[in-house]
Amino acid sequence: MATQPDDTALMQEFDVFAARAGLEIPPDRKETLFLGFKDLRKMLAVIRQPRTAAAEPAGTYSLDTITRSV
Amino acid sequence: MTGKPLHDYSIAEAGKMLREGKVTSVELTKHALDRIAALDGAINSFILVTTERALSDAETADADFAGGIDKGPMQGIPYALKDIYDTAGIPSTCHSKLRVDVVPEADCVVEQAFKAQGGVMLGKLATHEFAIGGPSFDLPFPPARNPWNPEHIPGGSSSGSGAAVAAGFMRMAMGSDTGGSIRGPAAYCGTVGLKPTYGLLSRRGIFPLSYTLDHAGPLAWTVEDCAIAMDAITAYDPLDPGSADVPKPDYLGGLDKGVAGLKIGMPRHWYEKAEGASPETVKAIDDAAQVLAKLGAEIETIELPEYDLFNACGRVIMFSEAFAIHEQDYQTRPLDYGLLTYMRMTLGAFITAADLTQAMRLRRELAQAVNAKLKSYDAIVCASSLAPAPRFADMPVGMPANWPIHTMPFNVTGNPAMSIPTGFSASGLPLSMQIAGKAFDEPTILRIGAAFEAATQLYTKRPSFELAQAA
Repeated sequence: MATQPDDTALMQEFDVFAARAGLEIPPDRKETLFLGFKDLRKMLAVIRQPRTAAAEPAGTYSLDTITRSV
Repeated sequence: MTGKPLHDYSIAEAGKMLREGKVTSVELTKHALDRIAALDGAINSFILVTTERALSDAETADADFAGGIDKGPMQGIPYALKDIYDTAGIPSTCHSKLRVDVVPEADCVVEQAFKAQGGVMLGKLATHEFAIGGPSFDLPFPPARNPWNPEHIPGGSSSGSGAAVAAGFMRMAMGSDTGGSIRGPAAYCGTVGLKPTYGLLSRRGIFPLSYTLDHAGPLAWTVEDCAIAMDAITAYDPLDPGSADVPKPDYLGGLDKGVAGLKIGMPRHWYEKAEGASPETVKAIDDAAQVLAKLGAEIETIELPEYDLFNACGRVIMFSEAFAIHEQDYQTRPLDYGLLTYMRMTLGAFITAADLTQAMRLRRELAQAVNAKLKSYDAIVCASSLAPAPRFADMPVGMPANWPIHTMPFNVTGNPAMSIPTGFSASGLPLSMQIAGKAFDEPTILRIGAAFEAATQLYTKRPSFELAQAA
């Protein structure tokens, strides 16, 4: 699992994402939202594990595969 | 009528009395409205009480009974809807400043069904803003409170639905569940709460939070009440892209069949040593398993993929889809959202296409793993919540990874899952467990819930907040 970048690098990433999304984050909300962003980054690391070829999203939105996939 | 108050009659009991002429729907409805007027000031479960509509519905139901017209078990029965359900001519606010003046022209499909079957709509219930941001004090309406102790949250996002049912305002209210928003309030408020199989109930006309994780479903005082509601609203909807064209399950037929011979798996590793798990909650689930074992079920500990995988997968998808829905408003009027909504939903802006694709791939794996296990088991029993309802003062602004509501796995997989009370904490707050099953096999989880409920009779205990209110 990749290690989390330091806060300075993460804040740069945070600012880029916000700008790309067209968001102007109020200064008084930025610190708390940044904490949420750091938690999210940890979650994203959790989902980025090796998968088999069968684990692909083509069937994800089919009821047969969401609900009766095996 | 016997001596118990009208709100303590089940939907089936009230229905029988209505048909025998022992009570009228107007009497049931006035009792509910009086109780709401007297007590809801303590718990704020309603955003809007639709008094005139309710009395009109009740009069229609009584006239139909008098005329020999019987539209089904919900005829004459009061219910209410989470305020993300569209109701024609009645504001549907999503508990948000952004929609405070929105009055839909059409009913959502669920409301169409209740209306067609003669139900009595009492009003619109509090929610977390857009089913994600709460409990909050910076919205146009106050947050609902837990009737077992109003200093504690009722859970969310179907906060008003859980609080109102526990308070005895109605036997059943509708909620929605994207990561646990039916089962969480049910757990905290001591009600039954069913998230059906993905696709079983139409979501058309219900404001979306996350297209592929959203489910409509009932919160009810008993399993039977829940089953009756499900029976009234289950139908294929060709205009809901997620709707499943499957036969309607027989929700009621198996409620009295017991659990003898059923094989139940418990993924204890999901909750027993999880951060924040209360010993009372874990013991109550173990005790419940013992009850089910004494009733004849075979209980085994099972292994499933780690809970954190389900949680991360579900959240990445939920934040992505939610932000996609709200993107334009976030760009143009972000401060119209409450603080908690902002802090949670904005996270969707920080997820890449690759992240979302990886989450979707993981979702496929997790669904396969759960469904493979359910080939060997009739149901899964686990925690709904790791602990009883926290105090308002202890709620975080964000949505930390160790969120105590442990319901996300079955939103990710789409399997049906129900929260049901297991007892009470030393502080008097409800404890709970979750029963999940195979896709479209709601009858089995209702059957297990009904057997446990009959053995424990926990529904006989109501919150005593009305005494505190009167004092």
